[in-house]
Amino acid sequence: MKNVSKRISCYSADTAGICSALYELGGLTVVHDASGCNSTYSTHDEPRWFDMPSRIFISALTEADAVMGNDEKLISDTVKAAKDLKPEFIALCGSPMPMMTGVDFDAIAQEVERRTNLPTFGFSTNGMATYLEGASEAFYTLSLYFSEKREQRADTVNILGATPLDFGLNGSVEAIKAFLTENNFRVGACLSMGASLNDFRMLSEARVNLVISQSGVKTAKYLYDEYEIPYVCAVPVGKFFSKQVLKALEDPSEQVFKNGSGSEVCIIGEGIYSKSLASELLYKGIDANIISPLETDKGVLSQNDAQVYSEEDIRAYLKEKKPKTVIADPLYSFVIPKGTKHYPLAHFAFSGRCYTSKILNFIDREIDIQI
Amino acid sequence: MIKFALYGKGGIGKSTVASNISAILSGKGFKVMQIGCDPKADSTALLRGHKKIPAVLDAIREKGKNVSLSDITYISDSGVVCVEAGGPIPGLGCAGRGIINALEKLDELKAFEEYGIDAVIYDVLGDVVCGGFSMPMRKGYAEKVFVVTSGEKMSCYAAANICMAVDNFKNRGYAGLGGIILNRRNVADEEKRCEELARDFGTSVIGRIDRLKEIEQAEIAESVLKNYAPGSVAFKQIETIAENIVSICGGE
Ligand SMILES: Nc1ncnc2c1ncn2[C@@H]1O[C@H](COP(=O)(O)OP(=O)(O)O)[C@@H](O)[C@H]1O
Ligand SMILES: [Mg+2]
Repeated sequence: MKNVSKRISCYSADTAGICSALYELGGLTVVHDASGCNSTYSTHDEPRWFDMPSRIFISALTEADAVMGNDEKLISDTVKAAKDLKPEFIALCGSPMPMMTGVDFDAIAQEVERRTNLPTFGFSTNGMATYLEGASEAFYTLSLYFSEKREQRADTVNILGATPLDFGLNGSVEAIKAFLTENNFRVGACLSMGASLNDFRMLSEARVNLVISQSGVKTAKYLYDEYEIPYVCAVPVGKFFSKQVLKALEDPSEQVFKNGSGSEVCIIGEGIYSKSLASELLYKGIDANIISPLETDKGVLSQNDAQVYSEEDIRAYLKEKKPKTVIADPLYSFVIPKGTKHYPLAHFAFSGRCYTSKILNFIDREIDIQI
Repeated sequence: MIKFALYGKGGIGKSTVASNISAILSGKGFKVMQIGCDPKADSTALLRGHKKIPAVLDAIREKGKNVSLSDITYISDSGVVCVEAGGPIPGLGCAGRGIINALEKLDELKAFEEYGIDAVIYDVLGDVVCGGFSMPMRKGYAEKVFVVTSGEKMSCYAAANICMAVDNFKNRGYAGLGGIILNRRNVADEEKRCEELARDFGTSVIGRIDRLKEIEQAEIAESVLKNYAPGSVAFKQIETIAENIVSICGGE
């Protein structure tokens, strides 16, 4: 059997990505799933849950409602909640059971919108895709709906693709904003940490977009097609690479990443982040490459990087490649060959709250990794 | 581009009517795709001369992600692109979910764009029994639903259920009701019953087919009427229906 994780964890699913992307935006998010499942999406996968309120609900789908196709319960409960809570928008998303019974979220969203007069979006998530795909759809759908033509500002940059699933709550995203501000940029929208729905309305003010995870790529491409705003995929980690990111923001046609063969270090994780970290190591004279077990834009990976999804393929790749050190989430230790050093770099979308002290903030600072 | 679905009770004549309409529209210059949404996978049999094609779900089962369009389509002599959604092993799985998977696969492979399709016929099994069977009437699929029925009680019952489903979905941006096609079984009050059904749902009977020998014979000859009996009464009756459908669907 392919793509079965026997020893390692798996990444958060698409539904969690939607909830995370929309968390701070003042909407009402309803996941169509059995009662009790809210903890899956909103506590295990959401570090903000403990300090910051958000309106994320579970529809409490029952066997009888699923079998009888009782969509009306979801619709009327959502409409009722919306009348009480007065959200700015409504998002409906799915889970494995509604996928099996073929629930049409777009159609249900249309009915909810008609009854509430609130912008309502249906997401056919089913738990089979990754958080990146879910967050990506959420950012894209809202950008499509809320972005408006505005006067461009030469100093403004948007940050796209920010969720705690990739950056935790360790101050990384704030550090990216501070880094940009210190270097004479004005930070426009940040989708979507420290953000509001208004960020989506002002997206077109930016001269350039900084895409810090794969979840921002689809929106960046849309903003390029619609408003001709160029984008740079990179996270400004390290002292050297962060300078490259600044250059690329000035001239987005410039290639920002450095490519190595990975004889010394192999990094496993989200593509744009890992590639940024690998580039910093290469600037420091350390040969590094990456394994991305998550969907990653073609322009990000080089031919020396690996797009490998399954546990057994990752294990086989490392065995053959024999890097000295692997930088990866602590839960990857089970697939790292004996004799290879493991530098733990936790990733919230992979190990949740198990290793929060190992979710490190590398933004614009000296990175000292002993290989 | 026109997109419509034929619904109706099992055995009522949907596939016979669909295949003949496909061949007729193809003859009028449309690039037609007929998609059988029935686990029996026999919708396009008359067009194919009973040559076998793998159903979409069988191809997915066998090749997984590597299914290509040529694996699941057959171009008939008359130029119709034939597709069969197929279904699970009888007694197992979920046929409705299967239809959803098959139609999503066609979207993913950009089937309409690849063949330059400008008329799509969904031939959908019997009653609307679960969510999957309403898939062809969802937004982006058929724009009009035509219900094939005789005056028999069970057939009218199924037809009424389908009309009800279409009506229930009217706030969802789904297909609207295009009309009733009467396929006669020569039972008492047949005409009256169908007219009543149409009136109940605010639609009309858009065509009538008599119970005719040449339809049976064409089936034995594994052929559509356009090739087998182009001058026959059956052919003319179905041609009229095809023309009415095109005009109801707004295809000039
Ligand atoms: N008007 C008709 N006259 C004679 N035979 C017919 C007529 N309509 C359908 N049939 C026959 O009825 C049978 C069932 O038709 P079919 O199109 O396979 O039904 P469905 O697709 O609705 O299950 C076929 O053998 C077909 O030839
Ligand atoms: Mg049939």
